[in-house]
Amino acid sequence: MNTTLRINGNDKQFPQDRAPKTLAELLAELKIDQATVVAEIDGRIVERKDFASAALQPGQSIELVRFVGGG
Amino acid sequence: MMTTVFFELKNSQIGIAGLGGLGSNVAVALVRTGAGRLILADFDVVEEPNLNRQQYFLDQVGCHKVDALTANLLRIRPDSDLVGRKVRLTPDNIPVIFAGCHVVAECFDRSDQKQMLVETVLSRMPDTAIVSVSGLAGYGRSNDIVTRRIHRRHVLVGDGTSGIGPGVPLTASRVGIAAHHQANAILELLLDTEMRSLWARRNTGAGI
Repeated sequence: MNTTLRINGNDKQFPQDRAPKTLAELLAELKIDQATVVAEIDGRIVERKDFASAALQPGQSIELVRFVGGG
Repeated sequence: MMTTVFFELKNSQIGIAGLGGLGSNVAVALVRTGAGRLILADFDVVEEPNLNRQQYFLDQVGCHKVDALTANLLRIRPDSDLVGRKVRLTPDNIPVIFAGCHVVAECFDRSDQKQMLVETVLSRMPDTAIVSVSGLAGYGRSNDIVTRRIHRRHVLVGDGTSGIGPGVPLTASRVGIAAHHQANAILELLLDTEMRSLWARRNTGAGI
């Protein structure tokens, strides 16, 4: 059984026993530095300080905007 | 159509967070187009390497960017309405410094600072839109730089991947493309139907 999470408009499958349970776990799985990403779950902004407590459910729409340096 | 653009721009308040390659170019474009009030925020001083892409002059090296840019913008348009803030922006002071702004332009250099500003505006300033940039380093690949509406109040400019690094310099040409995407997105937001109804509803009287 797989768990499906919708990330930036694309479905991503995770084995059910290894599916990330929080936003922080998802970012670690995707190897994204928390300090460089703005995250939304179902259109609502999740502040970085809440990434570890933001629980993920299948069917949610997750938006991750990553920033690279330069300006 | 054009008359409407100029009217809305004249009655707008726009925050520029960071006055480097992006911010100084966005400010010049907005002042030339006829911007209303600009809030210019940066704690830094002009250094010689900045001159490869930022809108300053050699004789301004050592001056606060806020003072140097204010002087340059007033030379372009003496009746510009400019408010300078020499501060380091933080989650606590951003909603105060940019209070009443219709749009804030994210013009920082560092990725963690970009994240901090965008998160703060989106989570704590419900009446303010933000135009941010990710991915503008190097040269060429002009058409890889795009403008995307991520969220009702968030427009993202850039190629999404080109960060600064060894052998990947910032160039006046490519930073300028991104900065002008930003300025153009700000004009678009000021005329956006959804944003205009949001501003019309707010009770501060600062709505367009």
